Amino acid sequence: MKRVAIVSLSLALVLMLSFCAKKAPKVEPTPATTMEKVEETAPKVEKPVLTEEELFLQKSIEQLNREGNLKRINFDFDKYTLRDDMKPILQSNAEWALKFATIEILIEGHCDERGTVEYNIALGEKRAEAARNYLISLGIAPERIKTISYGKSKTLVQGVDEASFFQNRRDEFVITKK
Amino acid sequence: MRKHLMFLTVLILATAFPTAAQQEITVRIREGMPAIPVALPEFRFTENSLADEGLKKEMYETLWADLEFSRIFTLIPREHYSYIARLNPDKIVMKDWASIQANILMVGLIEASGDDRLIFSLNVYEVNSERLIFGRNFGSKKEFSRLIAHRAADEMMKQFGEKPIFTTKTVFVSERDNDKEIYIMDYDGHRQTRITINSAIDILPSWSADNEKITYTSYRRLSPELYLFDIYAGRTELVASGGSNYAADWSSDGERIVFTSSRDGNAEIYSKNMKTGALKRLTFNPVIDSSPCWSPSGREIAFTSERSGTPQIYIMDAEGANVRRITFEGSYHDSPTWSPDGTRIAFVSRINSNFDIYIYNLKSNELSKLTEKAGRNENPSWSPDSRHLVFSSNRSGQYQIYLVDYDGQNVRRITSAGENKMPKWQRYVK
Repeated sequence: MKRVAIVSLSLALVLMLSFCAKKAPKVEPTPATTMEKVEETAPKVEKPVLTEEELFLQKSIEQLNREGNLKRINFDFDKYTLRDDMKPILQSNAEWALKFATIEILIEGHCDERGTVEYNIALGEKRAEAARNYLISLGIAPERIKTISYGKSKTLVQGVDEASFFQNRRDEFVITKK
Repeated sequence: MRKHLMFLTVLILATAFPTAAQQEITVRIREGMPAIPVALPEFRFTENSLADEGLKKEMYETLWADLEFSRIFTLIPREHYSYIARLNPDKIVMKDWASIQANILMVGLIEASGDDRLIFSLNVYEVNSERLIFGRNFGSKKEFSRLIAHRAADEMMKQFGEKPIFTTKTVFVSERDNDKEIYIMDYDGHRQTRITINSAIDILPSWSADNEKITYTSYRRLSPELYLFDIYAGRTELVASGGSNYAADWSSDGERIVFTSSRDGNAEIYSKNMKTGALKRLTFNPVIDSSPCWSPSGREIAFTSERSGTPQIYIMDAEGANVRRITFEGSYHDSPTWSPDGTRIAFVSRINSNFDIYIYNLKSNELSKLTEKAGRNENPSWSPDSRHLVFSSNRSGQYQIYLVDYDGQNVRRITSAGENKMPKWQRYVK
């Protein structure tokens, strides 16, 4: 339905433009100016008619990931339960994933640099799993979400203060398919 | 801290004593035995040898360092040798060596030829009885001079009824090439060689019982999977996938591995028969179970479990039954590793946000602290003779690999290029 509207709108614009173009010689501007005018107006008219969906379709997976459509969440020290202040982030991630129902997500669980390598892999996994379960509870199909734990192998920021540790204790949401 | 530890010991004694009878003890370590005084005078060249002083020095220092490291021998300080007449290999005056308190005299002779060959002859005497204990010739290319010195040290160990540990190796993870790759080095940190070449994260390597293969976890297929690398055949095969698969440990008979996997949705411990491929799940609960390690007999497994609410160390039978807890104080323990002589389990504890290595003695149920509040100390691994451990620590500001004796003595850093971590010493020697 939307598409029909866009097509008819575009057609109307093209007609209008051709009408203008025909009229133009009467005021006798230089042909170059006329050409310029057409080029200028064309993109301006096209832009607003691209829907969110069309924009999504245009973009590569890398671009979608770079834009940060899915926001990361953080955890408390030694914990894999979801913090209350992180739940709204997960809700907005879920909304986005529900809107673009073709995307598949890889949740990466990470830990700060403290703790053993082995235990941190298990902890990162639990963190990723906690977010996955929450997204499923918000209606995302389970088969669309995979998890991976990097333990403390991939810290986001360097630093030995609590603020850095907090940033490193995180789940990242990576779009793997659209 | 000491008080805290005392309390800990008492608590463990009180609670764990009834289970002590089930815990295996195979060999009694000869702790506290006085070391044997050895004189190691400078090596000499044979008459037809090239006088390659650099080669001589390297071999001498390597052998010296090995014996010094052993805790079996103690070396008579070099300056004492100048009190007596210089050694004449053809006419040794044993009384001189007795006078500087040497029980054992080691006489080394080098023959270096122009075509890159090297022969090292070692004669070892008992000073008081003026008796030759043994004589050996070691030959190789000059580039393996360090290895020859290590072989000579191994021969000394064998002659005195000890395990030859000086030609053993340590596998570890290095980030010197910007991404975590697996390397192998001599026990003393020399001769480091990279064995994995890929752009993925490779971690937690461990040795097969025959020391010919390495299991490790690699993210090469965007999932932490367990791989087996045959060092000599240069072949890699997939061992376990599905969920996270890591922390593998080989049984001493070389038949089975235990490892952590979340293939069924949660971190659990599995054993896999490497001959038949049969997989068996050993733990069943919704919390984290990880970091399994065989007892040397293959009858028991030490592991980490969160079943009490925090990660603690447990022991279970090889089939997963008869689970008992061995740590009771503190809220974070992991990386248990059973000493090859069966008497002790080393592990990492976090106490007051310090990560240190502790040793739990299965016989006395006593706990001792191996490292002392210097950075985070992780991934302990025993020497094959259970007298030393290798571990990683960030005490210098970045992770490096260190050696330490069972009693916390002689801490020594053995790596420097890039960050180095997760060391595993070969566990068994023939």
